[in-house]
Amino acid sequence: MSSGTPNKINPEQAIAEAATLGEKIARGATLFSRLRDEDVAIATTPKDEVWRQDKVSLHHYRPLADQKIATPVLIVYGLIGRYTMADLQEDRSLVRNLLTLGVDLYVVDWGNPSRADRWLTLDDYIDGYLADCVAVIRDRHKIDKVTLLGICEGGVFTTCYAALHPETVKSMVLTITPIDFHADTVDNRLGHGFINIWTRSLAPEDIDRLIDAYGNLPGEFMGGVFSQMTPMRTLMKYNLDLLEVVDDEKKFLNFLRMEKWIADRPHHPGEAAKQWLKDLYQDNKLIEGTFTINGQKVDLGNITMPVLNVFARDDHIIPPATSQALGAKVGTKDYKELPLPGGHVGVFVGGKSQALLGSGIANWLAERS
Amino acid sequence: MKTMAELWGRGGKDFAVAQQSFLAGMTKATGGSPSFTIDAFNTQGLAQANEALSKLLSSALEISQTITGKMQAGGNREPAVEELLSKIFDPRAWFSGVDGIDQALQRMAEGPRLADLWDSERRMLTLFNAWTALRQRSLEHNTVLLEAWLSAAGKFAKDLNEKADRNETLGSWRDVLALWVDTANTALLETQRSEPFLKSQREVLRASADLRLAQQEMAAFYSEIFGYPTREELDDVHRSVTELRRELRALQRVNRGKKKKPRQQNSVAPSVHQHDPKRSAS
Repeated sequence: MSSGTPNKINPEQAIAEAATLGEKIARGATLFSRLRDEDVAIATTPKDEVWRQDKVSLHHYRPLADQKIATPVLIVYGLIGRYTMADLQEDRSLVRNLLTLGVDLYVVDWGNPSRADRWLTLDDYIDGYLADCVAVIRDRHKIDKVTLLGICEGGVFTTCYAALHPETVKSMVLTITPIDFHADTVDNRLGHGFINIWTRSLAPEDIDRLIDAYGNLPGEFMGGVFSQMTPMRTLMKYNLDLLEVVDDEKKFLNFLRMEKWIADRPHHPGEAAKQWLKDLYQDNKLIEGTFTINGQKVDLGNITMPVLNVFARDDHIIPPATSQALGAKVGTKDYKELPLPGGHVGVFVGGKSQALLGSGIANWLAERS
Repeated sequence: MKTMAELWGRGGKDFAVAQQSFLAGMTKATGGSPSFTIDAFNTQGLAQANEALSKLLSSALEISQTITGKMQAGGNREPAVEELLSKIFDPRAWFSGVDGIDQALQRMAEGPRLADLWDSERRMLTLFNAWTALRQRSLEHNTVLLEAWLSAAGKFAKDLNEKADRNETLGSWRDVLALWVDTANTALLETQRSEPFLKSQREVLRASADLRLAQQEMAAFYSEIFGYPTREELDDVHRSVTELRRELRALQRVNRGKKKKPRQQNSVAPSVHQHDPKRSAS
């Protein structure tokens, strides 16, 4: 590899950086020794459990401002990861931002599925638990329709639900939601859409065998898939990235809260995972109009309520084209897209997006309230 | 590493010989005939995969040490920086950091240890072969990653040499690091989309599932002997419970529909106590 000529490094700068590094590590060690678990608590916005069935619970957030949007909004996260991402910390919280803007908010928590929940299907989650949550909110408020706010896989849940039961949905907000699972090939950006490529590289029998062996799609397995999507970032995270923030309390706590959310990765129930990976990622049945829930075809044309489709311009997990495909399929003319800067998670927790996401959604809702 | 690989291959063979001796003794003692022979142990593929990996790894480690040394040559050697650089340029980090899936699979698959299971001969063989197959597939996958690392290192060295030839001064080791991160990231992302990577990862996934299922078969064997429920029986019970709950939810929905009255869209916010038998602030 040698060209015979040594690479020159500015010695003064190198020494100065090394000295700074030592000081940083010392300050970081002091800071770390003072930390307690409550310092890195996530999802702290006050809420009350209003309904529970099996492992699923529905929570109602306490208001932080006068209600300005008439129809309550139900936040629906997916089974990969947890809803707490929408309420990571006080100054990085979609939940808080919406509450402050006068939105009446609910959230469904799918709990911690175990091997005992292997046989739960997407039908159970969408036409069972989610349908029940909507019914509870309608009963509590004595209304016919609620607004749904789906996140990622949860956006697919709300899309299917809205297509099957449009009479109960006032409007729908989707965030970072895949609809056309093969549209990663549209832009074909390096490092984007790895899950799409990886899933298509498997045979359907591989997925069946994985679920037969483990009973579910293990949370740590999906964590591994996500880590692969940002390979050098993953390698650098606990040395360089951590070193960058270790002596800055605010940044260090942000880092730890994010790590806490990442580590909390529930298992995905097995049969539902088969549908997710085979029917949607492999066979792309949702956009093809052949996906069924409880024997009913999910027709995206039945989505006649207003739709706001939020996606992240640099989303490497859900490439924008996979979300934008919805526009050509819905049965409403009131369809709007809100592209935001940042990546898949950055849209929710990034500093820049805090001013854009919450207000973007709240303004759109207010115009239709 | 090569010594390790040889040791590993020899260890597998020794283990097989020990097993055969034991089984021959067992056969003699029980008057039966063994249903398998030493050939049933499949360690050859594992040894080959080890050898391929060790050759590549030797080359990669040599390059890694050259890079790290070159970065510190001529200036003041700072131990903290040197250690950090050596870790960052170590190709083995790509095995532990990048193949998270394989690690996760192995952690999940390697629940019971072989020593706990050695007295159930036929199942033991199946299990052992499944285990060696997973090891072999992992090594093959690591070889693909190592080839990517070598490619990235080559590109990195070329870029550095070009800078040196142009007599360019790098700001500090951070600049060097930034160049490496950028080069390595591109190489890794390109590799992840390649057919060899996807194929080897798929093989790891299959081998992991096979090992898990072989372990479950072994566990079921003992469970039946001691009267404990097997995984399959538990799955059946869980399936029944899920189906019963599904029916219950459907009935509740029907009942709710019967009671439902026409409503008007309004914005009346209920008290949190209204339907709230388990109120709990969180």
